[in-house]
Amino acid sequence: MADTQDTIPVTPLFDRPRALRGYKMNKMANGLGNPANREAFVADEAAYIDRYGLSDEEKTAVMQRDWHEMVRLGGNLFFILKITAVDFIPITQVGAAQASMDHDDFLRDRLGKNI
Amino acid sequence: MAKLIGGVGTSHVPSIGAAMDRGATQDKDWKPFFDGYIPAKKWMADKNPDIAVVIFNDHGNSFFLDRVPTFAVGVAENYKPVDEGWGPRNLPDFKGDADFSWYFVDKLVENHFDPLVCSEIEVDHGLQVPMELLFGHPDNWPVKVLPIWVNTVQYPIPTPQRCWDMGVLLRKVIESYPSDETVVVMGTGGLSHQLQGSRAGYINRKADLAYLDGIAADPEKYRNMSREDYVETFGSEGAELIMWLVMRGCMDKDVKLIHKHYHAPASMTGAGMVILENKD
Ligand SMILES: [Fe+2]
Repeated sequence: MADTQDTIPVTPLFDRPRALRGYKMNKMANGLGNPANREAFVADEAAYIDRYGLSDEEKTAVMQRDWHEMVRLGGNLFFILKITAVDFIPITQVGAAQASMDHDDFLRDRLGKNI
Repeated sequence: MAKLIGGVGTSHVPSIGAAMDRGATQDKDWKPFFDGYIPAKKWMADKNPDIAVVIFNDHGNSFFLDRVPTFAVGVAENYKPVDEGWGPRNLPDFKGDADFSWYFVDKLVENHFDPLVCSEIEVDHGLQVPMELLFGHPDNWPVKVLPIWVNTVQYPIPTPQRCWDMGVLLRKVIESYPSDETVVVMGTGGLSHQLQGSRAGYINRKADLAYLDGIAADPEKYRNMSREDYVETFGSEGAELIMWLVMRGCMDKDVKLIHKHYHAPASMTGAGMVILENKD
């Protein structure tokens, strides 16, 4: 199978390679839309993640809340964002991590806020 | 026959709903955004349509990647707001119109569109937020809804041309529907934003402002753009703007731009709206 060939720089399109690669991680994260799953995640994160058969690499990225790595491994923000419903992290924090920027710098330089 | 009373294009950013839920609409960050919707709400109240066709995408709330319809149409009598993971929101259920929905589905298939037909389904912020922005928070929604879901998450997403074509057909469907009801069509999503990758936080204010005028005066430009053009110009999630073309495709070539509003950023998104009316 061909690797993802992004034609627009720094923009990962959720194409077939990414959808396939990230399927389990996205399924795990999307499950957090369900309150019982959120409880399970809070009670024993590793055990909850293991239900979905994630690789060690994927599991580590999730447990470290490494948003950049999660996307590299096929995570899609619409799904992995549900982890922030457990952690209560603002989306701009996730955005800053994607851009490898400090949060205030991200708000000012990317979003144009007066910081 | 039913009558099209106008088209609305609007953002559907979930943070807008969250801001309303925590009573933050008058905070300094949000007030300019919400103020721009006051004339739009008034327009909607004056027009007082019977049915709102709402075109939006799901965000992992009603569909997961196990099944991704390119287009889906709701034919239910009732749609509950979905809990997206942050807890249930205090919104009334949305009333559907099964007769009109099924009529639309019949016409779609006769005209070689093949949607997923949904009899039991919840609706996420893609529909909730535009409804709140245009109708406020009444005890019961004053219109029935016809939800149309467009896949804008997993590639391949439909082409801008295909969205436009659905709009052209939607116009015929409205104007051949045996009823004296009035219909507003709402294309939602955008404007520019990108949530993922190292370009996250990308907002293109200039392109957004041009789009708000151009969708009224020069829609050919946006119909002719490729999906890649949308992603490059408006960001990976800004490609949601293709959904406004369903609305624009159902309007006349020449329209009046009744209202336009832009504010950035709303959360991580360039946000705003237009109201269009046919010139008759
Ligand atoms: Fe969206």
